[in-house]
Amino acid sequence: MNKISIAAASIVTEADLASARLGQRFGRLDLQSQLALLAVASLKINFDEFARDRIGICLTASAGSLSTDVNFWNGRNGVGGPSPTLFAYTLPSAAIGEIAIHFRLTGPDLCFVGDDKNLLAEAADFIRRGDADGCVCVYCEAVTVGCAEIISSPQSATACAIFLNRADGLREWREFDRDMKALCALISQTKSAG
Amino acid sequence: MQISTHELKSKIIESLKLQDITPEQIDDDAPLFGTGLGLDSIDALELVVLLEKDYGIVIKDIEEGRPAFRSVRTLADFIAAKRPQ
Repeated sequence: MNKISIAAASIVTEADLASARLGQRFGRLDLQSQLALLAVASLKINFDEFARDRIGICLTASAGSLSTDVNFWNGRNGVGGPSPTLFAYTLPSAAIGEIAIHFRLTGPDLCFVGDDKNLLAEAADFIRRGDADGCVCVYCEAVTVGCAEIISSPQSATACAIFLNRADGLREWREFDRDMKALCALISQTKSAG
Repeated sequence: MQISTHELKSKIIESLKLQDITPEQIDDDAPLFGTGLGLDSIDALELVVLLEKDYGIVIKDIEEGRPAFRSVRTLADFIAAKRPQ
C-alpha cells in the first residue's frame, strides 16, 4: 500500500485547556506544550495498536519558543530569578519531548519554526522512507501578547494535529495538502456535518 | 517557627502547578522525588526558588539541601530551622 492517509485530525484552542485532564504535570507545561499535547490527545489514537518506536513526531512552532522566552525574561528580576521550569521550555522542540513522554513515542522527530507548509510532506517522507509506520504532526501557534508585539503578529493560542499512516483513514493525503490548519478545519467540518 | 505541613503542601501544589491533587492526598512522609509525589530535578529547582521567595532561605550547598527534600515533613523541619527570625 503506497498511499498515505490522514487517520485523525484535531484542532484545539486555549479555551480547551481548562478542561484538559492530561495528568498531574500538565499545569507546569508552557502554553505551546499544553496546546500541542492536548491536540495530540484529541486525535484519540490508541498508540497501543502501534510499535511506539515506529511512530514519528513532526512539529512546527509558528513563533518558536518566543512566548515562553518572553515570560522567562520577564521573570529575571523576581526573587530567586526566573522560573527554572520555564527555562526547560525555551526550546522550540520542548513540546515534542512532552508528546513523546506522555504517549511513550520513541520514533524519529523533527521540529520546524515558521509556517506549516512542509510539515505534512516531511512527515509523509518519514513513512515513505520506512523510518516510521505513522507520524503525529502538530502545528502550534502560541503567540502571547508579549510575543505578538515583538513579531508584529496577531495573538493566537491554537494547535492542530494530524496522524498520518498507511492504513485507510479519513482521507488520503496528497502532496498539495500543505496547509495543515486549513486541512484540519476542513476535516473537522466534514466530521461535524457527517 | 514550625510551619504546618498542610500549608507547605499547598505552596508546593501552587508552585509546581500540580493538577488534580490536594494537600490531603500528599503523605507528610512520602518521598517527594521518584516514587511518592514523583517530582523531578526541575521541580527541585522550583522548590529551591520557593524556599527563597516565600521563606527567605537560600540554599547555597546542594548537600545541605538534599536531606531536606526527602519529604514534606523534612522540608517543613528544614524551613523551621533555617527561616530567618
